[in-house]
Order: sequence, then structure tokens, then C-alpha cells
Amino acid sequence: MSDLMGLIYTGDNGERLGELTSLRAVAALPVLARYRVIDFVLSSLVSSGAKNVGIIMQKNYHSLIDHLGSGKEWDLHGKHQGLVILPPYQTPDNIGVYSGLMDAIRSNMVFLRRSRERYVVVTDSGMLYSANYDDMLAQHIRTGADITLMYSTDHNLLRSGSGHYIRVDEEGRVCELENQPMVPSFENTYMEAFLIRRELLIELADRAVSRAQYHFTRELLQHAIADHDLSVYGWKNDSPAWRLDTVQAYYDCSMALTKPEIRRQILRADRPVWTKMRDEMPTRYTADAKVKDSLLADGCIIEGTVENSIIFRGVRVMKGAVVKNAVIMQDGYIMPGAHVEGCILDKQVTVRDGSTLCAPASYPMVVAKGTTV
Amino acid sequence: MIRKKQCVAMLLAGGQGSRLGVLTQHMAKPAVPFGGKYRIIDFPLSNCANSGIDTVGVLTQYRPLELNAYIGSGAPWDLDVSQGGVYVLPPYHTGATGEWYKGTANAIYQNLSFIQQFDPEYVLILSGDHIYKMDYAAMLRHHIEHKADATIAVRQVPWEETHRFGIMNTNEQGNIIEFEEKPKHAKSNNASMGVYVFTWSKLRDYLTRDDQNPESSNDFGKNIIPMMLNEGCTLTAYSFNDYWKDVGTIYSLWEANMDLLTTPLPIDLHDKKWRICARNFGAGPQFVADTADVTDSLVTEGCEVYGTVKHSILSTGVVVEAGAQVIDSVIMPGAVIRRGAIIRRAIVAENAVIEPGTSVGEAEGDIAVVGQNVIVPAGGSVAAGAQLDV
Repeated sequence: MSDLMGLIYTGDNGERLGELTSLRAVAALPVLARYRVIDFVLSSLVSSGAKNVGIIMQKNYHSLIDHLGSGKEWDLHGKHQGLVILPPYQTPDNIGVYSGLMDAIRSNMVFLRRSRERYVVVTDSGMLYSANYDDMLAQHIRTGADITLMYSTDHNLLRSGSGHYIRVDEEGRVCELENQPMVPSFENTYMEAFLIRRELLIELADRAVSRAQYHFTRELLQHAIADHDLSVYGWKNDSPAWRLDTVQAYYDCSMALTKPEIRRQILRADRPVWTKMRDEMPTRYTADAKVKDSLLADGCIIEGTVENSIIFRGVRVMKGAVVKNAVIMQDGYIMPGAHVEGCILDKQVTVRDGSTLCAPASYPMVVAKGTTV
Repeated sequence: MIRKKQCVAMLLAGGQGSRLGVLTQHMAKPAVPFGGKYRIIDFPLSNCANSGIDTVGVLTQYRPLELNAYIGSGAPWDLDVSQGGVYVLPPYHTGATGEWYKGTANAIYQNLSFIQQFDPEYVLILSGDHIYKMDYAAMLRHHIEHKADATIAVRQVPWEETHRFGIMNTNEQGNIIEFEEKPKHAKSNNASMGVYVFTWSKLRDYLTRDDQNPESSNDFGKNIIPMMLNEGCTLTAYSFNDYWKDVGTIYSLWEANMDLLTTPLPIDLHDKKWRICARNFGAGPQFVADTADVTDSLVTEGCEVYGTVKHSILSTGVVVEAGAQVIDSVIMPGAVIRRGAIIRRAIVAENAVIEPGTSVGEAEGDIAVVGQNVIVPAGGSVAAGAQLDV
């Protein structure tokens, strides 16, 4: 019985993901042929025994709500607890539009107060990785930390001018935190996820917001580390990780996941990843199908050539069509003789007979949902 | 307080299915995997859900563990409702008289009080060994419109096969006037599909009387239907001529799987208005490697293909290693085909492991079967028509 609950913040709307997130939160971004980004953090929490998970929503959350439903697919549809959707609403306690994570937490204080678990994992939803929160919690208890930050040494996460980077000493204590440096001084990237005692979080959120500190990392955390107010430790997550903040990052992540040795660290047999079901028929390969190095979901019909690509549910690649180094989201329709290379096709995109859509791998092209090319 | 239901479905899932040989050694027939991601029982259960019938009793008897675990709360079929839902009904002891289900009619008779709880007007009787998509609500409407006591779903079978079926002879109004069980010289080719709608009050009466007859074998086809006909009940035939396949034998199970590889599909499983639902095991997307060659096949979630797959079905989590060949075969969930193994015209059951260099089945001849959890050792072979069990 785990004494852990989860609080997922889906406020970020990923402006640099362009059309991929114009209609949805990053958390709802389709990824890896049959998932959405939030499935990974949600399933990791469930694998670690969390039975109570709140999801704070801010913008573009329609597709997220549609995806999550009652939480049944993650076994989070309990009678007394389970998945709790926390959309913005305006009341004297909740201002609707959050200035930052602390603001969002403070606005949803009722949920935290009503929960019973001793510990809470608070996490953003802009990265893709697998996490073993049991280990994180064990370390948190062992070190007696007030706050444990999840970090990674994966170079994929380093950015110029964004992100948070930490210096961790030999005992695992976090001694310094850099906020959006042009050149990160430390190779440890804070993964925008931390573990804390629930009651301490309530106290901190209340105190921070009353002092107009709305941001957790750059206001509360940075001060707490500098002033040694709180004991902050780092827990290293060895899972491969991707920051899904640009089209290129999303594309690179997708291509990396076609490699079995990388994929197995994210889709682990001991920590299954759950998602909403569509009850599709298995994928059909016809006599002319030529598929290499690709990941495919169910419900597809493949009559053409697919190489080094990610094919979501219900996609049809017709005879003579070629799909290479591409991501084709749900219900894409690639007609005979069409050629698609280096592209990310959002849901329900049709590429008509004989059309060619080619982009270099260093500058992938996004085709918006529902477009006919 | 249980709310009244118009129609309750009773699914007969107790048979051993001995003609499926090693495939039903460890599980009941309705639990046998089909078509990559389904089990046979997904078809009647999905049909019920799609027909708006939300109360289903599943009568189990033979090796029910796997079936019970699979059905669970009924959530995959949206049958986890608070009024009604899916109920697994094993035979139980009643003090002096508890006993196994003696026949199909007896199985329903022993669950009389289960059905009575819902006080239904009609009862739908189904079996768990066919692959088909059928709107039971349309059949129920037919039953009501014809003011029938019983309605039997029939389909036209080839004349040369009539001797294998229960044949219904009807008059011009579509009422059944005669029933012949496996006739040598059939008068019609309308065969019973084993799908019945009964007006519950009538059926209850006949089941009770049938139980009192020690000579009866307590079977719908042999006893209940003939008795109702003799006594002048109104029995109508409901014609169903869409895809319907009995999967009671190794060959027919293999053949029904192969039907899913033909174009156009004889049974449309892409149909969004009539989805066939199955339990989800959280497997990832399928991966087809650069060494793979997959043609004319169905592959589902969790599969990893490095070898050659031709005209075959790979179920959830199957691994086909580089250099292995799978041809004209059905590979059930979790089986592993190691490098260099050749599988032809075979059914490889759940979690079996075919070690390197093995040959299973032959290019022609009967279907070879490797049972659940069997490990076929390196260099071994399984001849056409042979069945290997642990």
C-alpha cells in the first residue's frame, strides 16, 4: 500500500510546438503510435501504487478530458478516490488563470486538503520518460528531505535559455539551481517533478502565494536552496527522457523510440503504460506491404511502403504510397503513389494521390489536423 | 431491489470443446484466442452490448479460471453496469441436489432464479463457439412482432452439410413446423445457429417440465424445441445470412482466422458502429524491424517482428525472431518463434516457445498444433496434423 498521491500540472500550452498544440495541451499530444504524453506519467504513478491523482488543467484541455474519461484505463475509477480532474474555475479561492504552479496548487487546495496520502508527487507534463516513484519515495524518506527533485543527466534535456539545472553534492543534496541559463553550468536537468509531504506542500503554497510568489522553481525553490530554508535532495532518474518543447524535439523523440533498446526502457514489462482503448482490429498488411523499422498501432491497413516511421491507429497507407522517417497520427490516409517523408501528420490528414510531402530530418514539417494535401 | 429487464441473455460457455484438442486442455472453448486480439467470447459479448442487452449470464463449467479472469467485471464490453451487467454462473450445490449442468436446457434450468431476479419478458440463449456479428435486438423485434413463444436464428447451409445441423422446416409464414436433428435427407437447408429468443414465462414452464422427465437429456435442440412444437407453441425462424463461423474444430478455427486475411473482409472488424471489444493488456505498439518481411497478415499490439510472416495472424505480444518464418499460421498471445524456426499451417498456442531451427507443420496437410506453454526444443519438429501438449 503506497502512501503516495499524484498531482499533474498540464498548464503549459507549448507555443513552440506550433499546430501540434494549438488545439491541445502538451499533455494530450499523441506520441509513440498509441499514447498521449500524459499516459506515461499517469501509468508510472499507478505502477507505484498511487490511487489518487489530480490533474490540474489550464488551457486547451478538451482533448485531455476526452482522453482521460473516468480514469478507468488506469484503474483510477475508484468509488472514493481515483482520477480527479481539476479544471480552472473562478471562485474567491481560485482565480481561474494561474500565474504559476504555486498559484495553481493554492487554487486547488481543497483537493489537497481532502486527500489522505502522506506524500505527493507534483509533476509537470511536458517531458516523456518512465519513473519509479517507489524508489524516489524510499530515498525521500531515507534522506529526511523536505523536497526531493527528480533530475536526469540525459543530454536531450539540455536547452539554451530554458529549463532548470541543478548541482547535486555527493550526498544527493541540491546545492544550486539555475533558472533558464543561456548555457547550463550543470549537466543535471531538473525534470519538473518533485516529491513532498502533502501537508508541507499545503503550507508552502499558502505561504508563497500570500507573498506573491507564484512560481515554484524560480521563486520558492531557488530561494529555499540558496537560503538553506528547506532540505532539498535530488533523485536521479535513469530513464531516457525527452523535453517536448519544439517540433524538432518531438520528432527526434519519435525517431529515437523506433529503436527497440530505447523503447524498452520506456515501455517496460514491469511498468505497463495504459491508454484509452479504441478496440481496433489488428493491423492488416497486404501482399504489397513493405514495412521496415517502424512502430504501428492497431486498426491500420498497410498496402504500401513504410520505413522508419511511427504509424498511429487507423492509418491507411495505400498501394504505391511511401512513408519514410515520418509520424502519421490517427486516421491518416496516404493515397496511392503519395510520398511522405520527414513529416509529422496530425490526426485525420489525407495526402492525395501522387502528392509529395518531403522535409529534411533537421527541419520536420507539421501538417495540421484534418488537412487534405 | 433489482430493476426489471426486458431481455436477459444467457451464454452457454460450459462446453469443453474437446474437438479443439490441446487448445482446450487448459481453458474453456470461449476463452480460446481468435483473430490476433480477441477471444471467441468477445463476439457474443460485444454483440450483446451493441444490441443494448446489458444483462448477461455466462454459464461456465469446464476449466473456468481463464474465462472468469478474462470476463472480470465486464468493463471491456461496457457490461460493468450497476443494474445488470455480466455474471459468471458456475453450477452450485443446493444442499440435497447440487449437480453439474447436464445439458444446455438444464444449465438454464439451474439458473432459473438468476433470471427471475430480473423478471424479464424474454430470454436470449447464446453459445460461445461462433464468430459472427449479429444484432440480437433485431431478432428480438422479430420475435415480438410474430408474437412467438420461441424464435430460432437460422441460416442457409450448403445442402451437403445439412446432416451436421439441426434443420428447421418452416411454412410460408416463416413459422417452424418441423425440427430435424442432423437429418440424413433434409427437407430444407435452414440450420439452427444455436441462438434462441424465448418468451420467458413459456420457457420457464417448459424447463420445469423438462426437468421432471427423467428420460430427457435436458437439451434445447433434442428436448425443449421438439416439445414446444408438439404442443402447438408458435416458433418462428429468424433468418441470418451474414458471416457466421463455427470454430469448434482445429480446422474451422484456423480457417476462420484465415478468413480475416481475405479482401474484402467477410466480417468487418473495422466497423465503428459495431465494435468487437476485447480486454486490453497494456502492450505497446507493434514493431516491424528492418530484417522483417510481413505480408498478407494481421499483426497486433505488443508484437515484435524480425523474421518473415506470410499469410498469418500474430496475436498480442508475439515475437518472431530474425530468420524465422511464419506461413499460413495462427500464433496466439505471447508465443515466441526463435530464429530459423519454420511454422507452416499451424496453430501455436499462448506462450509457447518454438526454439531455433524447429519445424512446425507442413506446406500441405492437416493443421499442426502446439499447446499452451509448450517449448518445442531446438531442431525438433511437429508433423502436419500433430498436436503437442506439455
